[in-house]
Amino acid sequence: MNSDALRADSVRKIYHGRSGPDIEALSGVSLRIARGERIALLGRNGAGKTTFLRIASTLLAPTSGAVEIFGRDALADPESVRPYLAVVPQEGKPFMHLTPREQAYTYLRARGFSRETAKSRADHALDQMGLAEVADRLSITLSGGQRQRTMVATVISTEAPLMFLDEPTIGMDPFARREVWESFRELTVKGSTILLTTHYLDEAEALSQRLYIIDRGRVLAEGTADELKHRVGGTLRVSIVSGDGIAQQLSTFGPLVRDGDIVHVITGPHGLQEILSIAAHANLTATVGPVTLEEAFLHVVGRSIHDES
Amino acid sequence: MTSLNAALPAVARSRWRGLGALIGTELRVQLHELTSIATSFIVQAVFLVFVGVLAREYLSYTLVGAVVFSTFQIGQRVQNEAAWIRIDHKLHELYHASPMTPEAYFLGMSVGVLTAYSAPIVLLFGVADYLVALAAPVALLLVAVLVAEFVFTASVGYMISTWFKNMRSIWPYSTLFFNFFGVLPPVFYPLFLFPKALQPVALLLPTAGGTALVEHADGILPLPTDWVILAAMSLLVGASLAFVGAVYWARRISRER
Repeated sequence: MNSDALRADSVRKIYHGRSGPDIEALSGVSLRIARGERIALLGRNGAGKTTFLRIASTLLAPTSGAVEIFGRDALADPESVRPYLAVVPQEGKPFMHLTPREQAYTYLRARGFSRETAKSRADHALDQMGLAEVADRLSITLSGGQRQRTMVATVISTEAPLMFLDEPTIGMDPFARREVWESFRELTVKGSTILLTTHYLDEAEALSQRLYIIDRGRVLAEGTADELKHRVGGTLRVSIVSGDGIAQQLSTFGPLVRDGDIVHVITGPHGLQEILSIAAHANLTATVGPVTLEEAFLHVVGRSIHDES
Repeated sequence: MTSLNAALPAVARSRWRGLGALIGTELRVQLHELTSIATSFIVQAVFLVFVGVLAREYLSYTLVGAVVFSTFQIGQRVQNEAAWIRIDHKLHELYHASPMTPEAYFLGMSVGVLTAYSAPIVLLFGVADYLVALAAPVALLLVAVLVAEFVFTASVGYMISTWFKNMRSIWPYSTLFFNFFGVLPPVFYPLFLFPKALQPVALLLPTAGGTALVEHADGILPLPTDWVILAAMSLLVGASLAFVGAVYWARRISRER
């Protein structure tokens, strides 16, 4: 079977408000994910990432559009594709009166795995998530990050062909996040496909082979992190705080991207010295660095990923 | 595990796949709430003491009612548990996006809760049998009534659990159902003490109807034949419709609108 793992066409979702106005959460999202890919949906809070993920994972009905999973119509017959899915819901929690080991094991058993397979997979996933030491403690005694890792361990232990992970590393420390990323890479090498949502730029860049930038229910850009950065128009970013007064001069060196009162000039090595002198002449501080996904996001969306307005 | 270009693994399709595992999961979870289990029949026990002291001649009725109502209450626990898992833990999404069918999820959770909370019922059943000396056919009828009672209440409870977005909204309904199905109608007291005109109406309720059936079979509550049929049919049809409704609703709600 050579069909895509996931194919979505013009997916729209309108939430009908009981007392307030209707809200259009998705305005025609289309995307395609090949088998074995790791794809990130990157967007601000409320961009529509979770709504899309829930529709794609058969947990929410769209208002219109089409979703195919491994070539099967996931809207007409969700039960036929569900055996191939696994989901980490946003802000999900394990059973508080089960240990991480019990949580993963019983979930695998409910999915139909044999006792032996369930045991070995649960143990392996808990090891991967760095939970071996707390694997036999009740979840109620674990930290928020450990509970989140338990949720991820439970789901990755399924090794399902298509996994949906909604903000999977939220609440985790940087070290734990890297362990989780590594386990996701391992899963796709084995053949699973992963679609995750995140608003961590470093996570999207480090983990995804391609990413979709989504805002206000629309896909605004798609590509690899490098491609998206390249589209900004340069390799270097010069950031000038309160640089609005010299923006016109700066614009001759490359595109400008605004983030609050910071003006970023996207340029190359050629104009660097001149920009720094203009900033120094205006008594403004300038910092230089490579173009990151943050500038790419600002360039595409027009607002910072941390902007919740 | 599937390799990149291999066919998807075959998944044996069974509507009840994972049912036993979820019953076990729910049982493990519930058995950590021993205090809750131990105190789950405290209201029934208090009623028994009150009736035993104030109107001893009605104690048999109260005992049968306590067993029936305990089962009804477990269905309400299913309602709260399903809502808790959905609203607070969001674990239902793990089970819905999996090979497990929505009806297996509903049934697994319900039977798990029932198993955990069955000890008080067994205890009350034993006391009832000791004090009222239930004949074997009556005991069998009581078991059948309890099964129907549980199916009805767990099914209705599961459906109701999906209508709320926060737990606080659910609690008042638990109190309402407790009083509407347990305290007001003739469950803990005999049917003949209920207003005569409303007695057939009371028999339509699964709690009062089920209790009356057992008491009638035990010979402590004479009922006209048509009332027996009314209570039996009401319980049977109510439980069947509620179960079919819950299975339909479980499937429908597994993908939210």
